[in-house]
Amino acid sequence: MKLHFSRGLSIPSGAKPVAMVSEMSRPVQAAILASDFPSIRWQAQIPEGQVVARGEALVRDRKCPDIVLTSPISGRVSEIAIGARRRLQWVTIEPEGDERLDFGPVDGASPEGLRALMLRAGLWPALRTRPFDRIPDPAAEASAVFVTAVDTNPNAADPLLILAGREDEFSRGVRAMELLTQGPVYVCQPAGARLFEPSGRIVAVDVSGPHPAGLPGSHIARLHPATIEKPVWHINYQDVIALGGLLATGEMETFRVIAASGPGMRNPRYLRVPLGVDLHALLRNELTPGQKIILSGSALSGWESRFLCRHHLQASVLEAPRPKRSHWFLAALARAAKPAAFIPTQALEQALGPDLPVVPLLRSLSVGNIEAAEKLGGLGLSEEDMALATYVTGAEIDFGKKLRAVLNELEEGA
Amino acid sequence: MIAGVWQRDTIGWVILAATLPVAGAAFIELGPAALWRGGLVLAVILVWQIVFLFTRAQPLTPIAFVTALSVALLAPGLQDPWQLALAVSFGVVIGEQVFGGWGRNVISAGVATLAFIYFGFPETLHAGTGPLVAAAVLPGGLMLIVTGIVSWQVIVSAVLGLSAVSLALGEDPLAFAVQGSLVFGLIYLVGDPVASAATRGGRWVYGALAGALTALFGWVDIGIDMPQAIVFAALLASLFAPLIDAGAVAVQTASWRRRNG
Repeated sequence: MKLHFSRGLSIPSGAKPVAMVSEMSRPVQAAILASDFPSIRWQAQIPEGQVVARGEALVRDRKCPDIVLTSPISGRVSEIAIGARRRLQWVTIEPEGDERLDFGPVDGASPEGLRALMLRAGLWPALRTRPFDRIPDPAAEASAVFVTAVDTNPNAADPLLILAGREDEFSRGVRAMELLTQGPVYVCQPAGARLFEPSGRIVAVDVSGPHPAGLPGSHIARLHPATIEKPVWHINYQDVIALGGLLATGEMETFRVIAASGPGMRNPRYLRVPLGVDLHALLRNELTPGQKIILSGSALSGWESRFLCRHHLQASVLEAPRPKRSHWFLAALARAAKPAAFIPTQALEQALGPDLPVVPLLRSLSVGNIEAAEKLGGLGLSEEDMALATYVTGAEIDFGKKLRAVLNELEEGA
Repeated sequence: MIAGVWQRDTIGWVILAATLPVAGAAFIELGPAALWRGGLVLAVILVWQIVFLFTRAQPLTPIAFVTALSVALLAPGLQDPWQLALAVSFGVVIGEQVFGGWGRNVISAGVATLAFIYFGFPETLHAGTGPLVAAAVLPGGLMLIVTGIVSWQVIVSAVLGLSAVSLALGEDPLAFAVQGSLVFGLIYLVGDPVASAATRGGRWVYGALAGALTALFGWVDIGIDMPQAIVFAALLASLFAPLIDAGAVAVQTASWRRRNG
């Protein structure tokens, strides 16, 4: 199946990362972040200071105790941060030793066995549902599963390069996805790729076109629109490789290849790092002189974070903006001002992957009109789908945040 | 996060730059009188912008210049300062500032001011401008279309609608091209990105409606060389724009339902 997106924009993004995977020069700490899953309250399973093996459960969902997040590295729990309202914020692990947990013998042939295995190994949170982009309920069933093996974010890693030599694990993981749904499994891949044998309900989708052609939101809207009654799940290709490896060996792969790029990087390149790696420690020796901002995710849709977020396969280093000196009176006026309205230009028509009425949707989001936003197709979107619209309008209004506020309201009502 | 440069103010400055040749041509054609009237209008707009800056925290915009130019150019007959000040105050406050400033308005401030002038002081006679202004609009207009600030669909469909209705009325379908006021109004009043329709299909309907109304008012009522035709067409079309958009959205959501069950 072919899926071509004619709308889209290419964003000036500076030097592309060198397409060669390098290892970390030294082990650095890693963390699991509660902010990656804002709807969940986590409960720590292990006290501070204890030594944990790679793959050991660190925290557990209070409402649904089957969902756990596991340690990405072998080491010692150095900090369990508790934030406002006694919410767990993050757990950091200082690298130490090389203990790994073996999840074998695995039963990956039955739907129940696969779910239990993914939950136990901490791979279940790799799945996300549309609408809302949350971790799916372990008992629920998807109406379709999307495996995203294409990435059009500016300076993203090339999935084909990372998949090269790992086709066995990938296709094993893709076949396992069939157990999660009665519906189709769409594997969205760069046009012309031969990553696996399409069979049964597994459909290979050749995706082409400029960004946002590679976002799962774009694929879902075109192929299998998500509704609250019929949610769609999506997962990225590196998590599918990890699942394939887990099924084959019983060992959970917690390392991912990320593309580290941006104007602040001396040698933009691919790095193999654990999930939740400390980006500050990782990139400290890689930066050009001067003050920097380190983002987890792409320069377009990422955000400032010390640790790599769970679903990001990119880190971007930007120059920190110089503080502007302005007269105190003008500064006060600027601070008091409401965000200026956005002017609907033609560029906005290129900014969304799904074929939606863009300007009415953005207007409804900017005033928080929940009903209109739902009617105009906002339910199938997530923050990353709005990033280009925010960019095009000069980031006066953060449409991703506005969308999340609307989605939160809709989620409460659902 | 990186961000593009096309914020509201950038777009305002680009539109202002696009109108500079028109301002020059208007000065040549209408004489120095146009300059002081434009200056007075600009001063009144600035006063209101500052009032709303302090009371409602609405930042200033460079679009004030474009509003002032359209008033000076399309209502050249109005000489009384108090009449100008009254009309502009109405247009800027009721047309733009009470909605939250430029970008949140329903009709453009220039159109509101001009409609107020034509209705409020009907005894004043206004003459249109000629080919020099029409030619001066072209470079800026092209720049706005190329940068995507003015939608090409709106302009193309407006020209088509204008020509088609002119033909249907047995008039010259290309007569509008040498009318400075009309070409200026087509780009800056009808093509105003904020007040025009904002859906893909809606833009075609909106442009065609504005063009057809211009031809109708021009040939049947006021005269195609008069500025009133394009201003009333822009006023009516932008009042219908939300309805047109709602129709376009309804068509699209109906097609989703058909496709997805």
